[in-house]
Amino acid sequence: MTPDLINLIVCGVGGQGNILASQIVAGAGIKKGLRVAIGETYGASQRGGSVMSHIRFSTAFPVGPLIPKGEADLIVGFEPLETLRVLLEYGNDTTKVVFNPRPNYPISVLSGDSKYPDLELIFTQIKNLAAVSVVVEATELAKQAGNHLAQNLVMVGALAASNWLDFSLELFHQAISELFSDPEKRDLNLRAFNAGIKGFQQAANK
Amino acid sequence: MRKLLSGNEAVARGAWEAGVEVATAYPGTPSTEIVQALAGYPEVNAQWSVNEKVALEVASGAGYAGARSLCAMKHVGLNVASDPLFTLSYTGIQGGLVVVTADDPNLYSSQNEQDNRHYARAAKLPMLEPSDSDEARRFSKTAFALSEKYDCPVLLRLTTRISHGESLTELEERKMGPVLKKFDRNPSKYVMLPGYARPRHPLVEERMNRLKEFAETFPENRIEMGDKKIGIVSSGVAYQYGREAFPDASFLKLGMVWPLPEKLVKKFAGQVEKLFVVEELDPFLEDNLRMMGLDPVGKEVFPLCGELSPELVKQGVSGKGSVREINFDQAIPQRPPILCPGCPHRGVFHILKKLKVFTCGDIGCYTLAAQPPLNALHTCLCMGAGIGQSFGMEKALGKDARVVAVIGDSTFYHSGITALADIVYNRGKGTVLILDNLTTAMTGRQGHPGSGLDIYGQPSPVVELEKLVLGLGVKRVTVVNPYDLPLLEKVIQEEMEADEPSVIIARSACVLIPQFKGVRKKPVRVDREKCDGCKICLQLMCPALTWEAKTEPGKKRKGYARIDPLQCTGCEICLQVCNEAAICREDQ
Repeated sequence: MTPDLINLIVCGVGGQGNILASQIVAGAGIKKGLRVAIGETYGASQRGGSVMSHIRFSTAFPVGPLIPKGEADLIVGFEPLETLRVLLEYGNDTTKVVFNPRPNYPISVLSGDSKYPDLELIFTQIKNLAAVSVVVEATELAKQAGNHLAQNLVMVGALAASNWLDFSLELFHQAISELFSDPEKRDLNLRAFNAGIKGFQQAANK
Repeated sequence: MRKLLSGNEAVARGAWEAGVEVATAYPGTPSTEIVQALAGYPEVNAQWSVNEKVALEVASGAGYAGARSLCAMKHVGLNVASDPLFTLSYTGIQGGLVVVTADDPNLYSSQNEQDNRHYARAAKLPMLEPSDSDEARRFSKTAFALSEKYDCPVLLRLTTRISHGESLTELEERKMGPVLKKFDRNPSKYVMLPGYARPRHPLVEERMNRLKEFAETFPENRIEMGDKKIGIVSSGVAYQYGREAFPDASFLKLGMVWPLPEKLVKKFAGQVEKLFVVEELDPFLEDNLRMMGLDPVGKEVFPLCGELSPELVKQGVSGKGSVREINFDQAIPQRPPILCPGCPHRGVFHILKKLKVFTCGDIGCYTLAAQPPLNALHTCLCMGAGIGQSFGMEKALGKDARVVAVIGDSTFYHSGITALADIVYNRGKGTVLILDNLTTAMTGRQGHPGSGLDIYGQPSPVVELEKLVLGLGVKRVTVVNPYDLPLLEKVIQEEMEADEPSVIIARSACVLIPQFKGVRKKPVRVDREKCDGCKICLQLMCPALTWEAKTEPGKKRKGYARIDPLQCTGCEICLQVCNEAAICREDQ
């Protein structure tokens, strides 16, 4: 059964394919007959800044584009530091998280002016704060599927496999197929999506 | 049929349904996708204009001739277009004219946080403000009808959250407006000589009175009665936040934010115990409610700066916060946007920094060069400002002041041309660097007069930069390859020393456009033995370069640089900067 409102955040770094991922998840929700609202910021943020999409599914009443702080039910993170940043601000004791553990370094870290927090500490903190947290090696899986950039679709696959949204895989398949008219691109994205399903199942069985 | 659309796409859809024929804009976040989407409808003649003022003049010309037209811009774009706007309020139009302004609370991609509702009052024009995508579509249609009925442009105000938020939207068929297309030879209406304009002003005031009456019964201004203890007057996205925070409260939801329906507001105020005004940025509604003699709670509990959110509304009304506070043991570094790997701007800023010049900057991706570790751009005011400001600095500090202006190609066409003419005319000697990456990069790679591509991606006539600059009377014009650092340094030095105005065009395609294919080379690599860990390459602010901290016995260095071959485009700027020849091509 679907609750009245599901708040999902997809977060990462500009250029990682946040918007495409949120379009697919939203598309699957619409096919299920849910109301959908998305809050998106882009512009300057596409140049490697922090990015975040708020996706909200509701059964009856319309909702606004922003998830209130502390009210995210699900977080899909494309990068560990961004996942933690969002979890600290938007998470609560029941928030479920699935994330890509591959770090992407901010410029101040690249130049040696600040330190990227200890990765193990980030993982532990995410684990402690979230009700459930699952690590999916999305970049590696995307490479195997044909292109490391398709990590966003791997993460969508992982979300689909989690069944946290209670959307059938078929809904996701339809949403992906509709977004890509070029068969080559569609196949790559479907491969990455399927890799994410397997990746989640393996991670969850660990 | 319902579809998930962004607010921007929905405005475009509504305009199309209303029979819009001409659409113009200069790209600007968060408004860009409106006219981009309209270009996708075959019945619409869309264009990127050189700037917002010209965009509004083109759209209003179409309106004078009876076509329905739309002009879209970001909030600061309306400052540029305000000159035609204020007098269009006097002349009116034939075909409906909708002017869309997309404000940017919280400055996601802007230089200020201005609240453009003030323009509606100042220009004496009606303004509609939708609170989701379907309203954006419907209000866009309504705006055309109002424009023709009241013979004036209608402002449609969006904010970033409405423009870029997405929600399900109804779709309807296209239906043309009733106005016939023709020349309307009517000098007393369209020639704003003082003698003709003077009698137009009372007509404008009378129109606003009629619009006030209309606002009283406009169905999009509605009372939603709930619990009478809390009454909230709101509009736009703030209404959504209010609804979410207080689902049971009473609301006066305003679809039209200017002019205001005084009787309706007072009726609502009289029915509730405590009256709140929930609005982003300025106390625009609040001040007007006070002038009606009401005493609402507003900015004393809601922030004046930044955007609102459901929790800020909740906190303001109830005085309580509800968010858990958890801190992480280590500092979480911020992640600001940066120049892409291989960006042609990077080398220019490295040289300007090396020469220790003061750089008057402008608006575009290159503004990011102001951030550490580049720290190589020292002003950014508004579109085109850098050229005039560099001239002012020269006047203040003398002709030997080491100052240059840096401006992008699209920004130069937008509003740099006139400032350069000013320098030539007034005997300046300044040096202007035009960073020509062949596109309007920051907003998502739109065409401009020098790019050779129109809004449809089709080849277009080119307004050649060199000829344009020569035509303005600049005699010293040099085109350089921005990846050739020694040449860049030599040319910048020489031109700064020249005793007359000079322009340096640093030309190479943006890494995100197809023309970059011919520029991209194989990634370079770091020879770990040679790297002495001096970090000079890391000052270039390139995402492909990282620092690997590592102390080794017998080595002074505290680590070494690394290059991510997946990100490196082989621009070889770091290779030229390295003093130890530790960065080399793959085959070396």
